[in-house]
Amino acid sequence: MDFDKIKDEWNNGDTDSSNEITAKELKVKEAQTPIDRIRRQMKHEFKYQILSLVILAFVPKLFHLSPQLYTTYLVFYGIVVAFCTHYFYKFYTFYKHSYDLSLDSRKNLFWFYYEMKLNIELYKALNYIVAFIMLSFCATVFFLTKDDLMKKVLERISIIYIALNAFVTILIIGLITEFWARFYYGKHIKKLKTVIDSLDEE
Amino acid sequence: MLDTQKIFLQQINDNKGIIHKVAKMYMDNTLDQEDLFQEIVMQLWKAYPSFKGTSKFSTWMYRVALNTAILFFKKDNKKVDKVSLNEQVEIADHNDSHEKEEKIAYLYKAVQELNQIEKALIFLFLENQSHREIAQNLGISEVNARVKLNRTKEKLQQIIKKNSYGF
Repeated sequence: MDFDKIKDEWNNGDTDSSNEITAKELKVKEAQTPIDRIRRQMKHEFKYQILSLVILAFVPKLFHLSPQLYTTYLVFYGIVVAFCTHYFYKFYTFYKHSYDLSLDSRKNLFWFYYEMKLNIELYKALNYIVAFIMLSFCATVFFLTKDDLMKKVLERISIIYIALNAFVTILIIGLITEFWARFYYGKHIKKLKTVIDSLDEE
Repeated sequence: MLDTQKIFLQQINDNKGIIHKVAKMYMDNTLDQEDLFQEIVMQLWKAYPSFKGTSKFSTWMYRVALNTAILFFKKDNKKVDKVSLNEQVEIADHNDSHEKEEKIAYLYKAVQELNQIEKALIFLFLENQSHREIAQNLGISEVNARVKLNRTKEKLQQIIKKNSYGF
């Protein structure tokens, strides 16, 4: 088999380029690279998180919180919004840069692979932080509410039980986050790793 | 239409043969080839702001097109794949009367058995790129590009022999 001959035939052959590419083709539907799927997923999650923050803003009105609890809620809500803004900015920067595919293949794949891994860790951290803040707020409500029912509950349960409960709750949230991240992003990361490995094979 | 878009369309139409070849190289049936073609066009447009004009448009296009193809995965719809693959074989059997075209058609069939990186190596080699250019495009050393390309050529020869593609 003569590769040089094939090369000549390849370069002199018909490239099936009869149809003109139009502006219509620049707006496209469903993208199919793992990077696009990750981008799409990130976009969805961003929308859901914004929606959650908006819903959370109405919690004091919906549950008719007392003025004391209302102020406490605002403090916790402010912290959650601050953390979310910080992380959203980081995700957005990554999202924007991910459109540049003009680096060489290796740099491009490595950049995306490690940035994605880093962003997944940031995503997990954000979930832990938000869960922790929510739990802290629940604990504050628990201790600030001085009605009879709360007093009875506090008399009957030990502090160890409360601490254990908080620990288990954080653990469950952690496991859900871990599963969520693996389910949505894990398979795409795996595909990227397979391509990187085939590039690195000696 | 915006001026940038006009310039982009002009440049991309002048070089669209590259995208057609990459799509045929990476996908084995017409439907997937069309999808990949569309995907490359879209990625090129989205990455266009990063094109500073320091290199030739075609050089930049090779990179983006190959990076897109390397990362492109088919739709999980086996039924569609099967039908269109048969269609493509029929087209190849009836229309490719010239020996040259037939050889290229068999080459496209044979490369389907290569992995994403091996396809990129063979593609860049066929596009007359030197070992140095191949290495630069893939981000590997020149020696590694040479070794990998030789191995891929051997593998391709074996595939062609195994399938009696008549080279």
